[in-house]
Amino acid sequence: MAFLPKLLLLFLIALPTSVFVADGPGVAMAQEQAEDVVEGEDEEDEDEAEVETESDEDAGGTETAAAETEEEEEEEEEEEPLKASPDADTTVLFTTTNTLQDQQIPATKLVRVLVGFTNKGDKDFIVESMEGAFRYPQDYSFYIQNFTTFTFNTVVQPNTQASFEYLFTAAEPFAGRPFGLTIALNYKDADGNPFLDAVFNETISVVELDEGLDGEMFFLYIFLAAAVVLLIIGGQQLMASMGKKRPAKKQVVEQGTQNQSDVDFDWIPKETVDQMNKNSPRRSPRRRAKRATGSDEK
Amino acid sequence: MRILTAFAIFGLVCLAGSADDNVARLLAAKHVQNQYLVEGRDLTVTYSIYNVGTSAALNVQLTDEGFPESDFKVKHGMPTVNWARIAPGTNVTHSIVLTPLKSGKFNFTAAELSYVPSEGAQPQIGYTSGPGEGGIMPERDYDRKFSPHILDWAAFAVMTLPSIGIPLMLWYSSNRKYRISSKAKKH
Repeated sequence: MAFLPKLLLLFLIALPTSVFVADGPGVAMAQEQAEDVVEGEDEEDEDEAEVETESDEDAGGTETAAAETEEEEEEEEEEEPLKASPDADTTVLFTTTNTLQDQQIPATKLVRVLVGFTNKGDKDFIVESMEGAFRYPQDYSFYIQNFTTFTFNTVVQPNTQASFEYLFTAAEPFAGRPFGLTIALNYKDADGNPFLDAVFNETISVVELDEGLDGEMFFLYIFLAAAVVLLIIGGQQLMASMGKKRPAKKQVVEQGTQNQSDVDFDWIPKETVDQMNKNSPRRSPRRRAKRATGSDEK
Repeated sequence: MRILTAFAIFGLVCLAGSADDNVARLLAAKHVQNQYLVEGRDLTVTYSIYNVGTSAALNVQLTDEGFPESDFKVKHGMPTVNWARIAPGTNVTHSIVLTPLKSGKFNFTAAELSYVPSEGAQPQIGYTSGPGEGGIMPERDYDRKFSPHILDWAAFAVMTLPSIGIPLMLWYSSNRKYRISSKAKKH
């Protein structure tokens, strides 16, 4: 009978060891590969970080350069601003907001803008990038937020059309205020002359969408309901304890084990109790005799 | 009164004049719908074509040659599709389901669109928007991230078995011994 548990014990000790031994190389390889992957990711991250910092530096550089050129321009008294080419035709369509109802844009929702570009001339156009910005509606030279510039660098041949998509999201704090939204397409012709077409340049208002049930509000209501239930239960407990009369406490006198009927022998195995009754010298003879007869009967 | 009627006639003429150069103007967007592009799993590409012109676009043909057979297998839908007519102010969508065969970076380019902007006009060539470059994930990496890891959990269960099983067995053996002895003494 005792052989089976021992065998089981042996099996349970031997199995994990055998599993380790059998899977050892495989597990180790997997770990190595995972480490490699992680290292690779790290490297990529570092690369990206470097790229970002570089691009930041570049951006900083261009910004300072732009500032310098602006200063120069101010000094030289205004150059011609960039205009749209007469050979290019653009159309704009907001594809997410049902053609921009009442000039409204929902906050925190992605807005897709589709811009069509037609080359009516006889030279290639190179569409370089598209950029969008929120501006102060009373003064369009005052920028509030620039959105990400999308770079395309796509050649549009004569008598062809191309579509370009631009995506942006208005931040939540902007809700309920009007903004001047400008979306501009940068392109150049085959000779390298730059053009800029403001495909959209209007005042829009950013609106907040009211969603049916906000998660935050939902849990707030649950918390309030729980607090009310807790108060009701607490009040009930208080009322119950106030209403009940406290019974006078009886004076309990400790008597030790003098009273034999109070002692609970149930937790001791029966054989032990019997033995105790037989052997105990402190038993009264009368009781011992009784017990003895009892055990005899049994 | 005469002046008014003259204005009205002038206005009508203007309308008729503008009606003559009614043309269709199609804008087309191409979207990749999947958040994760995974080798060997479905990839849905949707084309949306909007007619923002004032006339119906006729004989519209959409051709996407941006999915070479070496990289993609078409699972559902067609990369070339025709519409006889797209009415002004409406839009149509078309989608195809592909299976990427290779992992790595892939440049999703624009599809070509050709249509007749008005009755008897020359066909106009256009291009949809291009979704740009996207990374296609190897299936192994995707599984590592999203699979239920059943085998791993099974191995874990086997490895935790001794630490639970050995105490259980010790308890069970002692318990059985006690039960046997108590029964033997009772009788």
